[in-house]
This record gives sequence, structure tokens and C-alpha cells, in this order.
Amino acid sequence: MSDSSINLWRARMPAAFGPGPMQRGLRFLGLALFLAWFIGTLWYFDFSPTRLWNGLGGLGKIIVLMIPPSPGELWIEIMKGMAESVAMAFLGTFLAALVAIPLGFMGARNIVTVTLLRFSFRRVLDGMRGVDQLIWALAFVRAVGLGPLAGVLAIFISDIGILAKVYAEAIENAEKRQAEGVTAAGGGRLLGVRFGLLPQVAPVMLAQALYFFESNTRSASILGVVGAGGIGLQIAERIRVRHWDEVAFIIILMIITVAAIDWISGRIRRRLINA
Amino acid sequence: MLEIERLTRRFGTKTAVDGVSLKIPAGQMVGVIGRSGAGKSTLLRMINRLTEPSEGRIIFDGQDVTQLKGRALRDWRMRSAMIFQQFNLVQRLDVLTNVLVGRLNQRPMLSSMFKMFTAEERAMALTALDRFDLAEAALQRADTLSGGQQQRVAIARALMQNPRLILADEPIASLDPRNSKIVMDALRDVNRDGLTVLVNLHDLTTARSYCDRIVALNAGRVVFDGPPAELTAARIREVYGVSEEEFAEEAALAVGATPQQLAVA
Repeated sequence: MSDSSINLWRARMPAAFGPGPMQRGLRFLGLALFLAWFIGTLWYFDFSPTRLWNGLGGLGKIIVLMIPPSPGELWIEIMKGMAESVAMAFLGTFLAALVAIPLGFMGARNIVTVTLLRFSFRRVLDGMRGVDQLIWALAFVRAVGLGPLAGVLAIFISDIGILAKVYAEAIENAEKRQAEGVTAAGGGRLLGVRFGLLPQVAPVMLAQALYFFESNTRSASILGVVGAGGIGLQIAERIRVRHWDEVAFIIILMIITVAAIDWISGRIRRRLINA
Repeated sequence: MLEIERLTRRFGTKTAVDGVSLKIPAGQMVGVIGRSGAGKSTLLRMINRLTEPSEGRIIFDGQDVTQLKGRALRDWRMRSAMIFQQFNLVQRLDVLTNVLVGRLNQRPMLSSMFKMFTAEERAMALTALDRFDLAEAALQRADTLSGGQQQRVAIARALMQNPRLILADEPIASLDPRNSKIVMDALRDVNRDGLTVLVNLHDLTTARSYCDRIVALNAGRVVFDGPPAELTAARIREVYGVSEEEFAEEAALAVGATPQQLAVA
């Protein structure tokens, strides 16, 4: 192809020949800033190959101490802790999912049409979401004392915010025409939501709640570390006295439990989507 | 010259293509017809080696295509450009980049990974698009285009490969009559530039009016091979056991198109 015809095309469609000098400069600047940030943080946290290498050595020693995993003498305590964690996750998620349904409808643009109301409501949800589960757990341990109740409340409060937002978005993405069909048949506003919207979003809601149950079982183990009950307490105690073989046993137990929940919830989700 | 010798493909116990032998001289426009499941798609896909043959050989200008591996196979695929019923464009990429995909085989890997195409390649792609009146759409995302426009982009992509052969698998089955005509005209123009074109068609009228030669398949075997004039209604009944109307209806249904969509061009 001749230079003249290339130039002809360049004159006709300059944008087709890649970014111009201005755009290229901006891109370069953005990349430079990003790299500076990346290298800056590495430097600030003193990431050096020797430190990483030494840390790896320490980790290796711990892993050696973990083999073979052993349930120890207090294995009944471990089992109880695991059951407690799963129960905490279940109770917290179930309550949060229940409360999040009305809240989700209140946060959805197609349900609550008063912008100010919806806006302020959504900001409250943002606030609940903005505080991490662990902070809630610490607060509830002070408020209701050590034990699983604090953990359940922490899961409950932090998940309401997230689930309500997810539900609200599912409701906003639902098809309007189906609800219109119910309205056209003489159903009221509430019945329109009940028969026109809920069947569309119910599988999404349930699937999300199941996901949260699964991930909360994982995080319930952390909550125990700050005194909010469950398996975390057992694991923290054993790390303190360096019983690494028992720690390994608890970790394996946790992995099996989460995998089992994942498998079961996956089957339920597939059922729901196909039904 | 494309020579196909006793080409066979089995899927489990089912034989999709059963001992097909064809000799196609360079520059011919061949229409492949047949009912649903007759093996048209499998035959075309085997030529590009998207589907591996179970038995038989494909020879192009003396080279055994069925034995190719790695670099040589990719080179062969570049020379035998495919066009698909569903266009197979990358929906989230712009039209220009989709057309430049046709160059990937002929350029350095690393600069391709970073989408660093030269000004000459971009101008070539724009020229290819301009041939189908799509230069103005070059910077739009592929999914903003209509089906007919997308198929023309796919043909532009195929031409960027500098192919010797075009394999079009039901190129107009998903298009309306007007766009079908534009796409078939484009294929005929490409054929007149000297490229061999193999096109699977569900519509007999289209096949008769555009192709130099028609190959009819039934249950994986060649049941007719000759000029369109010889493929009379009587001959259709003879090889398929149904009337031409029934055949057309059934074939159209199988690809999800409306029957007899294209008037004589």
C-alpha cells in the first residue's frame, strides 16, 4: 500500500490510527503515576527480597510443625466450635436476608419513586456497609458480651447493608412489562410487586443469600478471634500456644465444611435457576 | 486446486461426512446444499481444520492439508478464510480491530498483544471496510452493527487474511433478504477477483443464481455434483425423495431462516 493512500486514510479518519499525541501523553502520565504509586507503596512497606525470603523460611517451619495434623485432646471443643461457626453464619445470614427483602424494595428506583427518600435510605445502607464486619463484632462483644450472639449480630448488621443493595439492584433490573401485565389485570400496586416482580427476583435473592451463607462461614472463623464465638476462638488459642498440628486439623476441617456448604448451595442454586 | 479425497468424519457412531471426494479448480464458486445434518458444516470446517477429519485427505495445490501442524496449520487457516452464520466477530472490540484480526497470522506476536498495528495495516483494513461501505463504522463496537453489517465486517476480516479460498458456512441464514443479497454479491465479487469460494447454502434459489457448480449432500454423501442447470426440480426429488418446496422449507427451518428469502439477483 502506497504512502499517499495511507495519508489519505489518515486525513479521513485520524482516530483509526491510534491515539493522538495529547491522548498518548495523558496515557503515559497515568501509567507513570500508577507505577510511582506501586513502587512507592512497596518501598514504604519495606518489601525486600531478603525479608520475603526469611518470612518464607518461617512459614516453612510452621508447615513442618503442622505435619501430621492432629485433633489433639480437646477435639470435642473443636467440633463444637465448628458447629457454632456454621450456626452463627446461618442465623446471621438468614436474618439479614429476611430484613434485606423489604429494605431492598425500599431502595429500588422503580418501587420508591421519591428520590429524596430513596437517596437518604441508600446512604444509611452505605453506612452499614462501610463498617467492616470485624468492627461490628468488636462493638457487639463490648455491648452483649463474649460469645456467639455478638458474632450473629455482627454478621446480621453488616450483611443487611450489602444484601439490601444487591436486592435493590436486582429489583431495578427486573422487567417492567411483567408487572404491567398484573396491573392491567386489575391488581393493585402491592399485588403488582408480589406477582409481577417478586417471581423475577426471588431466585436471585435466594442465590445471593446462599452465597453469603457460604462466605460467612469462612468469616465466622475470624469473628471468634475477637471473642465473638465459634471456631476462631479455638484456632487463636492454639496459635498462641503453638500447637500447629491442631491448627492444621482445624484448617482442614474448615476447608471441608466450606466445601460441603459450597457444594450443597451450588446444587440448590442450579435447581432454582432451572425451575 | 482443492482436492478432497474420501473425506470422512464420525461423531461417535454417527457419520457426519462419509467418504466425500471433490476436485475444485481455482476460482470456482461452489455452492454446497443439503438438508439439516447432511454434513455441510462439518465438510467446510474440516477444510479449515476446525474439525479434524477421521479419514481421508485434503490436498491444496499439491500440499496435504490434513497433515499440517503448528505454524503450518495456522498459515493454512489464514489462506482458507472462514465466514460463519453467526459472523463470529468479537462483539466488544471495535470494527477496525475485528478486521485487523485477519492480519494476526502475518505479524509479530508481541506488538499484536499490545494492539500495536502499523499505519499501513490500519489503512488496509479501512480500505477493506470501504469496499463494503463500512469505513465510517470502523471505530464503532461490533455489537452496535446490524447483522448484515457484521457479516460484511467478517468478509473484510477474511479478505485481510489474503486468502486463496473462502469457506462460507451459511453466511446469509441469519440475514434479511436485502442484506443476503449484499453479502452474496460481495462473495461473488471476491470470487471474480480470483478466489475460490465454497459456500454452504440452505436456499436453492440463491445457490442456483450465484454458483458455478452445486454439490448436494445427503447423510454425508455427495448425491449431486454439477452445474446449476442440471439441478432441476426432478433431480431434487430423485436425490432427496421430496419436492423442491418441501426441501426448501425444511432446509430453511434447520438454520432458522425464512424459506425462499432471496429473489433472483
